[in-house]
Amino acid sequence: MTAVDDFRTRATDSASVVHELASWPDVARLALEVAEGGWIAITPSLSTAQPSLTAALRDHLLEPSSEAPFYSVADVAVGIVHAVLAIAETGSVLLAQHEPSDRSVSMLSKTAIQVVDRDCVLDSLDEVADWLAINSSEVSLATLVTGPSRTADIERSLTIGVQGPADLHLVVLG
Amino acid sequence: MTLLTDLAAARAQFQARYQGALSNDPLSEGLLNFQRSWRDTRDAQLVDLESILGRDRDALRHSLAEMKDRVIADLDVHLNRFHETAEAAGATVVEVTSAAEANIYIARLCQARGVRTVVKGKSMVTEEIDLNEYLADEGIQAIETDLGEWLLQLDGDRPSHLVMPAIHLRRHEVAGVLQRELGRYFDPDDIPAMVYSARTELREKFLTAGVGITGANALISSTGSVMIVTNEGNGELSASLPPVHVVVAGIEKLVPTAADAIDQVRLLARSATAQPISTYTSFFTGPAPSSDVPREMHIVLVDNGRRAMAADPAFADALRCIKCGACANVCPAYQVVGGHAFGHVYTGPIGLVNTAFHHGIEFSEGPQSLCLSCGACETVCPVDIALPRQILQIRRRVTSELGVSRSRRIAMRLFASPRFVDIASRILAYAMLPFRRGNFISSPFIKFAPARIRRLIAWRTPPALHSRPARSRAELRATAPPTAQTEATGRRVTLFLQCISDRLAPEVAVASADLIRAAGCEVVVPDEQHCCGLPAIDSGDDDNARRMARHTLEVLGATNEEPGDIVTPSPSCAIAMLHDYERLFEGDPIWAARARALQGRVYDLTDYLVGPARLPNGSLARGDAGPVAIDRFCQSANILGRGDTIDELVRGLTGAQIVPLQEAEVCCGFGGSTSLAAPDLSHGVLDRKLDSVRASGAHVLLTDNTGCLLHLRGGTDAAHLPIQVQHVAEYLAARLPDRSRSPRTLRR
Repeated sequence: MTAVDDFRTRATDSASVVHELASWPDVARLALEVAEGGWIAITPSLSTAQPSLTAALRDHLLEPSSEAPFYSVADVAVGIVHAVLAIAETGSVLLAQHEPSDRSVSMLSKTAIQVVDRDCVLDSLDEVADWLAINSSEVSLATLVTGPSRTADIERSLTIGVQGPADLHLVVLG
Repeated sequence: MTLLTDLAAARAQFQARYQGALSNDPLSEGLLNFQRSWRDTRDAQLVDLESILGRDRDALRHSLAEMKDRVIADLDVHLNRFHETAEAAGATVVEVTSAAEANIYIARLCQARGVRTVVKGKSMVTEEIDLNEYLADEGIQAIETDLGEWLLQLDGDRPSHLVMPAIHLRRHEVAGVLQRELGRYFDPDDIPAMVYSARTELREKFLTAGVGITGANALISSTGSVMIVTNEGNGELSASLPPVHVVVAGIEKLVPTAADAIDQVRLLARSATAQPISTYTSFFTGPAPSSDVPREMHIVLVDNGRRAMAADPAFADALRCIKCGACANVCPAYQVVGGHAFGHVYTGPIGLVNTAFHHGIEFSEGPQSLCLSCGACETVCPVDIALPRQILQIRRRVTSELGVSRSRRIAMRLFASPRFVDIASRILAYAMLPFRRGNFISSPFIKFAPARIRRLIAWRTPPALHSRPARSRAELRATAPPTAQTEATGRRVTLFLQCISDRLAPEVAVASADLIRAAGCEVVVPDEQHCCGLPAIDSGDDDNARRMARHTLEVLGATNEEPGDIVTPSPSCAIAMLHDYERLFEGDPIWAARARALQGRVYDLTDYLVGPARLPNGSLARGDAGPVAIDRFCQSANILGRGDTIDELVRGLTGAQIVPLQEAEVCCGFGGSTSLAAPDLSHGVLDRKLDSVRASGAHVLLTDNTGCLLHLRGGTDAAHLPIQVQHVAEYLAARLPDRSRSPRTLRR
């Protein structure tokens, strides 16, 4: 089994939906499909880095404003972020969320799409420790996300979707 | 407040919570279901982790414990390092000694920023320091955002579990709270609708609050990062959306590196919620860049008794705690009464320990009295905290600092006297003769007894005292040919009768002697033997415990000029001798050496029968082989680490059909003197056991501990359960060749 296979198995266990897509325009198509006509938020940095994504999202695109990074995207239908790592051990992705706008897109959307490059899918959580040791001083928030937001606080009944995104799509890209 | 008024208030508060919990049946039913499903899922998760990492769970928890120990031993080094790295990342770090200092700092900060509304992630430390109440008094509203915490706040309630704060609420209660507070109807069976109401209600609060307060699951000193773990995402939102993020954390949360934090992550969620990992594991390092508004991060590091714990060799281990709540999830007493009674602000077994340091010994007194000493908590702790030992240590401090009742002290002193016990029990046995029914005391007049007495005996028929204790019986010293040659053949074995077997179940003592002789040993029964001291150890009364321990050491040493084996039908006494005596005689080298000399000599009877005195398979294949269920004495399983060796022994020797008993190693509720001090609790734990016994379909229930034998016998009798309860020794001895030819009935 490759790391991607293990990653898919573990991520699916934690109620994520895993896709393997070839390019950013494919990610845009997935986003438009799940947004069902709603707005799609991406971070300014992703927008700059991936013009093909921005172009494909066209008039459904919403970027957080610098004056009100959270208000401007609160409860947007879909948020797309580019993760730095994915971990097969737990089916998690690691998000670097230095700017408030990074956090708003990943935390406040109803559905999150987290994209990870195929060669960044690694085996073990130890890789996260190594990444943190090197990058923590530059990144004010790194979050390991494993599945959609959930709670079991009422009679231990598992309910998906409380404060964070209720649906999580993971894209292995390339 | 003075200690005395505190004590009175603490006692009244505990009694109210305890009585309230006892009359709440849905609470214990809910917790029972929870404990059972948690156990299964968590065990499966650990097997999975072992296969992922190729290391066994004990190795993993030992290395996590060692990492925490290094930090605790060098707190200041790690604190200073964290201080530097976190401030280099732009955070403000403050260290506070007391709860009051922490509250004042946070309130002043809110006031300086003109903030009146605060959102909060789940944090036990803020519960510990009563932050919300303090802020409210200062005109600042703190809004809990974890679903469970939010519901409790709406209801004016407190968490009853470290991880699942509202586990004591039933769905209709939640619907009632929401309806009252939000002014619209909620269907108790539509849990998702109740959950989403939190999202709707809290979204605006996140967006408008000026300060977000969170706890921390770890503070990484090499990077200055704060690790926060949640499933809902509320912690991340509380920390990210408001301009000011305040972290409140105990100083014991420090870990040296990110790799150490990841090791903790691997065991944390598996131990807490039986997940491989929680949904969000976030590492905050300094504030986010100021774009829209100036952003700040303040980290308040709280001592509040932690340095005192670190400096106390008996309790430093408890600072390893990662607040997973696993100890509560296996605690039979917690299952019956929940965390409001079993704990103070910190709930469950760990709460019985750290409450004394964070809130005062007076708040530990009531909750610790409910511990049954079964030892289950220690077996699941991901950082290997010696909880049972520490709870006993707290009990000793309660005894020495708050005192014991005069009647209890006198009773224990009298019990420590062999001569008094001998005479009194013989007189009492004759006095009770008119009420005797077989092994029990019962009387139709019991229903006219005062409620206090009925609470003690209505659910568990009391055992009859025998006018002739085991030690006075000729059968005990009879000679009989060995049944077979064993490894122990020719050895001289001192039989330690144990006080309960001696006076209340002499048939167990006689059966034990017969079995040891059948293995070809010579049995010696010293006449002067008395109690090993366990009841005094269990009630925190070290003076009387030492008195009885010294007597026992004298007796066991005196009869064995040439060292031989010592065997007792009561594993709890073996555990007391092997595990508690050394501590009891700390600082007394002569007696400590004599206690150490018991190591390797003292055996619990069933261990002896499984080990050196093992008879050949099939040698006791006589009599009824009907379905037998085997209760595993909790301390044998949890402290001695005994697995299913008794099942194998009984099956092998007799060929009997052994049927599975669910939760065989979970405590039966006896707990020594706890069953007398807290009879309702003991009854609740017994009911759990009897339900498993009923479901097993067994005709015979065996146990390896004599105290539990009497407890289970009395319980099955009072519940009219048609099942025979026997000590393993009785069951086996009845199948010895000479016995089965002429079944010997013991005269009264």
